[in-house]
Amino acid sequence: MKDSISKPIQRVDGPAKISGEAKYINDMHFENQLFAKTLRSDRVKARIISIRRPELPDGFFIVDKDDVPGINRMRTVVSDHPIFAEDTVEYIGQPILLVVGPERETIYNILTHIVVDYEDIEPLLTLEEAEANSTVFTDYHYDKGNPAKAFAAAVKIIEDEYRTGYQEHVYLEPQGMTGDFRDGTMFVYGSMQCPFYAEGALTEALNLDANHIRVIQTVTGGAFGGKEEFPSLTACQVAVASLKTKQPVTLIYDRDEDIISSTKRHPSIVRYKAALNKNDDIIALDIDVLLDAGAYNGLSPVVLQRAIFSATGVYNFPHLNVRGRNFMTNKVPSGAYRGFGAPQTIFGTEMLLHNIAIKLGVDPLDYKMRHMLKRGDATCTGGQIRDVVKLPEIIQKVTEMSNYREKFQAGEKYKGIGISLFLHGCGFTGNGEQMIKGKIILKKNGETVILKVSSTEMGQGAETVLRKIVAYSLDIPLEQVKYESVDTGLIPDSGPTVASRTTMIVGGLLQQASLELKDRWDETENIEVSKSYKHPDFLEWNNDTFRGDAYPVYSWGANVAEVAIDPVTYEIDVKKIWAVYDVGLLIDETTLRGQMQGGIAQGIGWATIEVMETDNGRLLQKNLTDYKVPTSMDAPLVECEFISQPYEFGPFGAKCAGELPFVGAPPAVAAAVSNALRIPITSIPLTPENLMEMDRYEN
Amino acid sequence: MKIDFILNNQSQTIDVHPARRLLDLLREDFGLTSVKEGCGEGECGACVVLMDGKAVNSCLVPAGNIIGKSIVTLESFKKTERYKMIESCFLEAGSVQCGFCTPGIVIATESLLTENPNPTDEEIKEGLSGNLCRCTGYNMIFKGIHLAAERGNGLW
Amino acid sequence: MVDGFRPATLQEALDIRSKHDCLPIAGSTDLMVQKARGFALKPDFGKPLLFIGHLPELHKISIEKDQIHIGAGVLLTDLLNSDIIPAIFKEAVCLMASPPSRNLASIGGNICNASPAGDTLPYLYAVDAQLVLKSARGERTVSVDRFITGPKQTDLAKNELLTDIIIPNKQFDVNYYRKVGQRKGMSLTKAAFQGMADIDNGMVADIRITFGSVAPTIVRSRDIEKSLIGIFAADIEDKVSEILERYTPLVRPIDDARSSAVYRKKVSLRLLEDFLRKISKEK
Repeated sequence: MKDSISKPIQRVDGPAKISGEAKYINDMHFENQLFAKTLRSDRVKARIISIRRPELPDGFFIVDKDDVPGINRMRTVVSDHPIFAEDTVEYIGQPILLVVGPERETIYNILTHIVVDYEDIEPLLTLEEAEANSTVFTDYHYDKGNPAKAFAAAVKIIEDEYRTGYQEHVYLEPQGMTGDFRDGTMFVYGSMQCPFYAEGALTEALNLDANHIRVIQTVTGGAFGGKEEFPSLTACQVAVASLKTKQPVTLIYDRDEDIISSTKRHPSIVRYKAALNKNDDIIALDIDVLLDAGAYNGLSPVVLQRAIFSATGVYNFPHLNVRGRNFMTNKVPSGAYRGFGAPQTIFGTEMLLHNIAIKLGVDPLDYKMRHMLKRGDATCTGGQIRDVVKLPEIIQKVTEMSNYREKFQAGEKYKGIGISLFLHGCGFTGNGEQMIKGKIILKKNGETVILKVSSTEMGQGAETVLRKIVAYSLDIPLEQVKYESVDTGLIPDSGPTVASRTTMIVGGLLQQASLELKDRWDETENIEVSKSYKHPDFLEWNNDTFRGDAYPVYSWGANVAEVAIDPVTYEIDVKKIWAVYDVGLLIDETTLRGQMQGGIAQGIGWATIEVMETDNGRLLQKNLTDYKVPTSMDAPLVECEFISQPYEFGPFGAKCAGELPFVGAPPAVAAAVSNALRIPITSIPLTPENLMEMDRYEN
Repeated sequence: MKIDFILNNQSQTIDVHPARRLLDLLREDFGLTSVKEGCGEGECGACVVLMDGKAVNSCLVPAGNIIGKSIVTLESFKKTERYKMIESCFLEAGSVQCGFCTPGIVIATESLLTENPNPTDEEIKEGLSGNLCRCTGYNMIFKGIHLAAERGNGLW
Repeated sequence: MVDGFRPATLQEALDIRSKHDCLPIAGSTDLMVQKARGFALKPDFGKPLLFIGHLPELHKISIEKDQIHIGAGVLLTDLLNSDIIPAIFKEAVCLMASPPSRNLASIGGNICNASPAGDTLPYLYAVDAQLVLKSARGERTVSVDRFITGPKQTDLAKNELLTDIIIPNKQFDVNYYRKVGQRKGMSLTKAAFQGMADIDNGMVADIRITFGSVAPTIVRSRDIEKSLIGIFAADIEDKVSEILERYTPLVRPIDDARSSAVYRKKVSLRLLEDFLRKISKEK
């Protein structure tokens, strides 16, 4: 291979997608297919007294909790979400039953004639209410150094509180699955990130072992974490339905149904107490993270972990007391979303330092740089920063590109510039990778090599990147490397496609296997090489005390945002984002840039226009008319560069990249707005409504 | 209601309820699954098709309004030279990630360039403003369209 | 029950309208969403549809003496492409929905939908647009502010169709339009402001001010407008607070999923102020 692996290639799935030939789950036909539509709770919290069903015409069915052969719970980290509601409903939109049949009009008709008698129960609607009532799902804590002593010795103590709101993924392709029980095997097809998560959930719900289950990922139209654990619920529902009806059952979500009932980003409140020494350096931080997990815990403990392990951002604070709690409220369950807890705490910490600096009369960037981590430092959990931290170079570059220093000094009214520094821990938190023990297989058939992994292409370019790693490691043309169908019957479990682990962990295993295969290439026509994840010995992690290396390595970044605020209407115009990232070596530059730009756009959306509020447990913005994501008109210019600190244990030196770009954009925009209006910003989304109330120029 | 229309350059006569959505007609009766349903409320652009050469949200068009119209979807558009130019430029520019918005974007691009073969960057943004993309952040899509307009000498 | 009617001429449409309880449907962009029932299901309108969007009589844009006649079926895209339509009106139209939706939506549909947030309405109210309503029996002309009687309510009789919109063929000296949306593209209106004025010899000779999305119907006060006529444009600056105070009780928005009443009210009055200051800078 003469070209560098970073040189972009045309993605292999491109032509089928551009021509419209790629088939998503809703494009697929199954013989004798039945359709399913879900009856959902319209109460926030209630006891189900009775369900009156109309008489069903031939060929139509109702599927509910009584049809679940195994455990009526969706298996995930905490398996508390019922597949079909039992005695109570805990949030508006909770699935109660399916109406299944061959024809949609009739299904709709039946649905509208089902009458549920509820007895309302007093719900908990907000984080504050949940805190007052101590409805805590999970309570984590860790510390570092001697925070009590540090606070006692503090010259100044500053307290502040930061808030972030919901976010809905709005993958363009709504959730959808088909379950088909045939020849003793349950086949489940659909839009998903983690086929083995679905498989695990199905074994428990159906009382079937994995040999009789095959989960097949169909072309997935966007996910961003929203199709990480949530599809397991739908998978179990359609599988149960197929078992009952003995026909394939397809469930495709309406968009507004998807919005109200699928998992969301955890809203957060993060409270800080900062102890400053006589030089105004922060020597201790007390951080209290409150996440709104919604009605069921599900995956939330892991989100909470990443939130608390990312809470100190890129900084080295010698003394820490960090607490994190997931609270139960009677709203749609929160779950995985790009960044996975880190955006919430990194927003808070970035704005904390920004606001403290302003208060002290110090330049925010200079203030942040005083506290930055460097190689050899201990992480917040007492792990080690083993590699060179390229932040100084990254900052140098991004401030040059954007002319940050000059613009920050200029201080023109209603125009602002802001900078954020951030990181993302690569791979699963703590000992997650050891628990998954991801496995990959490379199969050589003559000149072709088939790559067997459970990593799912969902737009991010996994197929392209992983094939490239194999092709370049083996030094064979890309065309000879094939990607096996993501079908649990055909592939090993290399772990879920989450946590920005695909390139680094799965790609790393593929590189190792490729190098071995290369040595053995001439042995015979057909060779199979498999590799399983081995945790590097030098990493230590205690999952009880949360001490050690929470992540093997980090990717780093800095964003500068330039905004203009309309002085009459307070609408925010995000004019441009400059971004510099260290993600190690780039496996495909265009793919990487695409991830960066997409992540930035989503981050800006979360920080500004993506308003999602609830009123008495009911989502106010429940369709795309009211929940607004960035359109082409809202996309800022993005200028993006990379400075690489290669990771020794990453394929070709690659680290992680998928979530990092999301994390950096919101605090940069918030800092810019703060700069434009000369006000402290402590919560997002930043709306014209909020800003008008807060503007100091006017008041 | 009897509906006579032209679909992908072929005359069709069907008898359907006049309120039936064009989107469902195309996907279900004619198997044209390049046309996607993303929201059903005209807010995402995934369902966009050409009606008499202009992009329209097929989820908002009742069958009764397609009488005498010419509807074109990717299934026939993909055979054209214009399509091939768009395809190669999109591949080069990285305009596609998950692909779900892409068919609608291709149609919107065709509609835009037909009306305005040399759009400015601002005009490209406006022309695409009815198509949501959640993956790319749009800039690489603009680049793809810009390349197509630049290289498509005489195509539009 | 017949599902739908597809008349070949306007006369035919009016005859059908007089005989059947039916729902006129043109571009259908509002109606298809209002009656939507979910994926792969057709909307349920509850009565037969009367398709009128294709009727050639409804697609004219022409100048007649000092008036512009616009057929009710004229698409928003066609308004934008017409040389006849005043530029300030196009500013509002080009911010509506999205290009594919504008290729379907009709001006008549936007008027008859009578949403408090209807985007063609601030301009049409400001220029006293006259609406021609035809039935099999005859026709009548009514001004838009009489036609729209409340949110989503109009004076359209069961046998009538809106066929033409008549606006003056006039450009004002000072033109101001702002739509405050949820984002830059494809957005509903949180608050809209339309302001136009003619200045003669330094004095306000004509002034129109309307607000959209901040009351059950478009807000306009002919009394306040009249009281500003004859004032020197340069003096308007001094009268700003007084004028704002007079409009304040008329602007009565609500809280909803898109914005707050507080914001909508404040921003409407700020836009008014901005417009007034713009006038006072006119020579």
